[in-house]
Amino acid sequence: MKKNTLLWVGVAVMTVYFLFPLYVLLLIAFNPAKFTIEALYPPPIFKQPTLNNFILAFTQYNFVGPFLRSASVATLVGIFSVALGIPAGYGLGRLSSSLAYPLLVLILITNMMPGIVVAVPISTEFIRLHLFNSVLGLALVQTLVTLPLAIFIMQGTFSSIPREVEYQARLDGGRFRSIITRILVPVALPGIIAAFLISWMFSWDEFTYAVILSPIKPTLPVEIYYSITRGNLLTGVAFSLIFTIPVITLTVALQRYLKGEYLSGGVVR
Amino acid sequence: MKSTDRRDIPYLFFVLPAIVYVGYFAFYPSFSGVYRSFLSPHGGFTLNNYNELLYYNLGAAILNTLIVSFGALIIQLFLGLVVASILVWEFRGKKLFSTVTIIPMGIATVVAAIAYSFIFEPRGGYANTLLHALGLGGINWYSSTPLSLLVVMVADSWKNTPIFTLILLAGLSSIPRDLYHAAALDGAGVFNRFVHVTLPNMRKFIAIALIIRGVQEFNIFALPLILIGEHPPLLTTFVYDLYSTSPTVYISLAAATILLALMTVFIALNIAMGGRR
Repeated sequence: MKKNTLLWVGVAVMTVYFLFPLYVLLLIAFNPAKFTIEALYPPPIFKQPTLNNFILAFTQYNFVGPFLRSASVATLVGIFSVALGIPAGYGLGRLSSSLAYPLLVLILITNMMPGIVVAVPISTEFIRLHLFNSVLGLALVQTLVTLPLAIFIMQGTFSSIPREVEYQARLDGGRFRSIITRILVPVALPGIIAAFLISWMFSWDEFTYAVILSPIKPTLPVEIYYSITRGNLLTGVAFSLIFTIPVITLTVALQRYLKGEYLSGGVVR
Repeated sequence: MKSTDRRDIPYLFFVLPAIVYVGYFAFYPSFSGVYRSFLSPHGGFTLNNYNELLYYNLGAAILNTLIVSFGALIIQLFLGLVVASILVWEFRGKKLFSTVTIIPMGIATVVAAIAYSFIFEPRGGYANTLLHALGLGGINWYSSTPLSLLVVMVADSWKNTPIFTLILLAGLSSIPRDLYHAAALDGAGVFNRFVHVTLPNMRKFIAIALIIRGVQEFNIFALPLILIGEHPPLLTTFVYDLYSTSPTVYISLAAATILLALMTVFIALNIAMGGRR
């Protein structure tokens, strides 16, 4: 009995803790300003719900440009991550561990480097290469964030396919390339889709590289940051909510793949 | 031995594109950044960029970064343990609750920062609404450096507790349930079972979670930038401030080099400690 009470108290407290910040965003988005940002002690309930904040935000400020830019960058990042992650994950899974381990560490270290340390030197290089403020340039750099996770997911996927399948295919006269495209890739498809979507999602959220490498042509998170710093709080909140919908959907849908094993970089086995 | 090496070669080619990619986009820029931080705008070698950093607030930036990283890790470890301990039990609505606990992962850092900026707004914030309802006065959350840093820690912990939860849950699930039953039979209460069964079995997982988050904690940028701006500075916002305000890139490269050096020390310490485990 005592255990149960403790459990339910914990569940209740943590549920409030996790949901409260979202509730605050909803309050500000759907209440008139006089009950939220203009009140000294804003009431924590919906009074006179309205859509005016949204209408104002989407008619007065440019949402479509940053939205499309974010979507294009994220899609490119997904493609790059999968394109580099499939062969790397496959190769690492088949290499002897004395070789695979240092290579894995090398790739992991890039995830530990501060984004800003990488971004500032790249910015001067990108100005020279005309990649500054470009979708392609930003996508190339953001792939740094997603590649390690994509490689882990792919490595895990391929290691579940027995080598015998490959050997069999080779005996049947299949060429090396067709073994990969006809056998390995189809079996690994769920992992590939997960790697693509998680990369897409991380890029959609990414801020550091975006604000430094594409300040004039902002992606959506940077545009939201600009709205807030310019004092257009309600616009920032309205954009934030729309911005959140795809990510939260993907997170819940991909819950299966967001496991401790992947997040700890395969260290825990 | 030799034969295995030869068999490795074709697989090495599969990994090569990824290695070339991280080499060009991560290692090369970092090294060139470190190199250029010792150059003057006219070319020659100089330490002036570093001297100049001392005129700004380098010491405070380092100290604040350490405080925020340490504080946020403690909060996340505690909350992650609480949530993971709940999730090892079976109860009605568990699936829904576990979805709720990963929601912050689905909220962009920028959005989390904005939500918390409304909670801790000195005038018209929801934290002060709560204090007011309890009969207390409102607080200006940005009136002092420690309070400002606390706001950053709290917001960052909210966003990143799920990562701790997921890693710690992997650890908790690996502890045989029988151990708890045996301890309960011996008369150990909830607290004693936690201290004598859970913690010792979780050491490895706690260490891994602390290492992974600890490294990322040094890098938090969007969150402090939106919540407290460049003052009080963290190392990341310090670099960004110099980058966006100084006429040349060299001073910000020097600041970035210091951040990289701190990070390298931290990673090396981890590897050294990891070797002993």
